[in-house]
Amino acid sequence: MSTPVTSGNSTSDSAIDLQAVYKSFRRTEVLRGVTLRVERGKTFAFLGRNASGKTTTIRMLLGLLKRDDGAIRVLGLDPQREPLELRRRVGYLAEDQTMYGWMKIGEILRFVAPFYPTWDHELALKYVRDFELPIATKIKHLSKGQNVRLGLVLALAHRPELVILDDPALGLDPIMRKQFNRDLITHLQGEGRTVFYSSHLLYEVEPVADEVAILDEGRIVRQADTETLRRDVKQLILGREAFVANRRLLSVLDARSDDERMVVAVDGAAKAMELLRYEGVEFQVVDLNLDEIFEAFVAGRRDDTAASATPQAMLEPSA
Amino acid sequence: MFLRIEKGSAVPISRQIAEQIATLCASGTLSPGERLPSVRELARELAVNQNTILRVYERLVGEELLEMRHGQGTFVAARAKRGQLAVHRERLVDELRQIARQAVGLGLTSDELHELLAEGLDGVEQPIPANAHEEQTS
Repeated sequence: MSTPVTSGNSTSDSAIDLQAVYKSFRRTEVLRGVTLRVERGKTFAFLGRNASGKTTTIRMLLGLLKRDDGAIRVLGLDPQREPLELRRRVGYLAEDQTMYGWMKIGEILRFVAPFYPTWDHELALKYVRDFELPIATKIKHLSKGQNVRLGLVLALAHRPELVILDDPALGLDPIMRKQFNRDLITHLQGEGRTVFYSSHLLYEVEPVADEVAILDEGRIVRQADTETLRRDVKQLILGREAFVANRRLLSVLDARSDDERMVVAVDGAAKAMELLRYEGVEFQVVDLNLDEIFEAFVAGRRDDTAASATPQAMLEPSA
Repeated sequence: MFLRIEKGSAVPISRQIAEQIATLCASGTLSPGERLPSVRELARELAVNQNTILRVYERLVGEELLEMRHGQGTFVAARAKRGQLAVHRERLVDELRQIARQAVGLGLTSDELHELLAEGLDGVEQPIPANAHEEQTS
């Protein structure tokens, strides 16, 4: 239809590039135009509630599912056309990855190695030592945390450029989650790899991620680094009338009211505050924590007042 | 160096770390010339992104609290400006604003609030003027 202006040079430095990706299962539309870009070398957290489409997206990145529409490039490749080439260059840890329980750790390493031309067995053994995994123990006897670490060994030992992890911290206790974050920092960030991982806990990914994207109802509702997110999303407390009068000008994520006051989560807080000051509206500002920010995006009530049904119009604040 | 990260706080992690390092310097727990852990070490220790740690160090270097010596690491600046750091000031202004808001909510007047602040200051040791302090330490 039109000339591809941006895609040409943007793909070269991006590890993952999705353009308006759609996917339905029978009549259920799971992804409704997902667009996102992950730069090389970044640690990128992909956030959403359960069943928001995270795993579907990830499976498409690996060529395990076909898209209905849109474009996907992973390391410059179309996963649907070149899944094998792609899998050689990507490390993948599936959600609740099932491994043969009767195999010992040492056995599964030898079992998996032939699938990857670049498999480095010395490196695999080094990870096993670093992660304090018992090499002669059967997989079915490993703890949940050890299982995740073994999954990481299998995902990393062929020195992939990109590592894709589907909710790796799911089911880990707080101590193991911190340990997992430490593993990510030491063994993945430290070595300059691109990491794309999903989670439903924004506050858990904050210490680690360079950038996050929030997926809700099949769309990316926000992509930013966490500090920008904190700066842009704030809670404003103001009078009900003032809110109704200015609602159209605000990017409202969530609005709740008691008798005469409104408690409103807005995106683009700086702009909103400037605007309200200009209008002479009195208001208070409250900093939100990341859980509250996440909640505002994925569970916000935007239709609480009589105002029009303007959707998330100004979600992308201009610089 | 012991730092504590509060997850799920409304205070960004980079600011938590910056404030705590600044506090350790102000209290003398970290003394001038002392070497800080490398970016890598601290990132691993706290399980925090290396870029975050690097940004914190750079910011504190910008505020002349720390100094980076090429190839040697990051150190507490020999003549660190104490008590006047932007990180601390920001936090104080934030907290005072909250207190002011509470006070207004409780129906206190500006005068009454100033009085309360003076009362609070009474119990605190008299501060040493900043320049006198610098002469002492150098």
